[in-house]
Amino acid sequence: MPDLATTEGSDIAVVRWLVGVGETVQRGQALLEVETDKATMEVESVASGVLKAIHAAPKEKVAVGAHIATVEVAQ
Amino acid sequence: MTRHDDSEFALGLLERMIRIREFEEGVRFLFLEGSMPGTIHQCQGQEATAVGVCAALRPDDFITATFRGHGQALAKGLSEQQLLDELFGATTGCCKGKGGSMHVGDMSKGMVPGIAIVGGGIPLAAGMALAFRMQKSSQVVACFFGDGAVAEGAFHEGLNMAAIWRLPVVFACENNLYGASTRIDLVMRNPRISDRAAAYGFAGETVDGNDVLAVHAAAQRAVAKCRAGEGPVLLELLTYRRTGHSRRDPCAYQPAAERKEWAACDPIERLAARLKERGAIDEAGIAAMRARIVQQFEAAVARAKAAPRPTPQDLEADVFAPAVAP
Repeated sequence: MPDLATTEGSDIAVVRWLVGVGETVQRGQALLEVETDKATMEVESVASGVLKAIHAAPKEKVAVGAHIATVEVAQ
Repeated sequence: MTRHDDSEFALGLLERMIRIREFEEGVRFLFLEGSMPGTIHQCQGQEATAVGVCAALRPDDFITATFRGHGQALAKGLSEQQLLDELFGATTGCCKGKGGSMHVGDMSKGMVPGIAIVGGGIPLAAGMALAFRMQKSSQVVACFFGDGAVAEGAFHEGLNMAAIWRLPVVFACENNLYGASTRIDLVMRNPRISDRAAAYGFAGETVDGNDVLAVHAAAQRAVAKCRAGEGPVLLELLTYRRTGHSRRDPCAYQPAAERKEWAACDPIERLAARLKERGAIDEAGIAAMRARIVQQFEAAVARAKAAPRPTPQDLEADVFAPAVAP
């Protein structure tokens, strides 16, 4: 989870996933929607590949830096 | 005399704009990955303002910039290595890792470290220009600020001071239509910012800020006026911010149709099209240029990640002036 909150140290809530497990995702493509302490926004994938697993369900609040998804990158 | 027919010069402008774009895109992902600390303010889509104005300056001329200063820094001749080192907080950064993204600058390259107070650079630029005048130097100052700075008191004070003393300042207003999330027409009855110059008794001009050759031509005229003692000049450079105000801003306030319209007049694409038309470069040449720039960026990132960070021993360095004997 990138550091998108305005207040340092505040958690970020997952709103919904825009890509499903097993689907391919491109670097820069919106992967999920989150709600910070200030705004709702999309978070882009930092890698191209297949979304293998989601580790944070909608409504779950996670800390900045938390592992929220696993993307398998093709070699 | 125009240098715009000189393909080598124009290719240099293209190369610098692409370098800024790739730098900003690369930094965007470094931030998302969590490997870069702090927030960032980016300038994708606004590359022509920085590149056009700085190409009209001498190495010993100065610029002031804002919290959105990566583009101006690269355009004024700072290396991407010293910028990336700064963004990662390394001691090898342009401010020894203590400034970060919002304060990039290098006095030896003619860039005051970025001034993050909105409008803060405007009176400062007038002061620097006064110093140049008193030193009988021919240096000029280009002062970058956004449309949001125009409603600040510092704008009036700085422009009026520069006007009454005819100081060599090019006031370069990057009008990207939004001050953070507030659209310009909500805060200005007359949104043509160049008109403000008339109130102070000097010349103002509105320029297509996504046409790097137009920006360069206007900046050249403005700089020539300033060097001849006929300054200052206000340039309003019309452009558009593609990203949020900072990385923490989802930018939902920009209407989709407006975003689309501005995306269609991309400064890099426009110059590339002109250069292709005149046979100065082809698509493969541009792709090769971009690939080389991306490769250099990635190599610089790897070095920046490994560069030394400040230690507690560095805490007071450059904070206190050395004691002077009475």
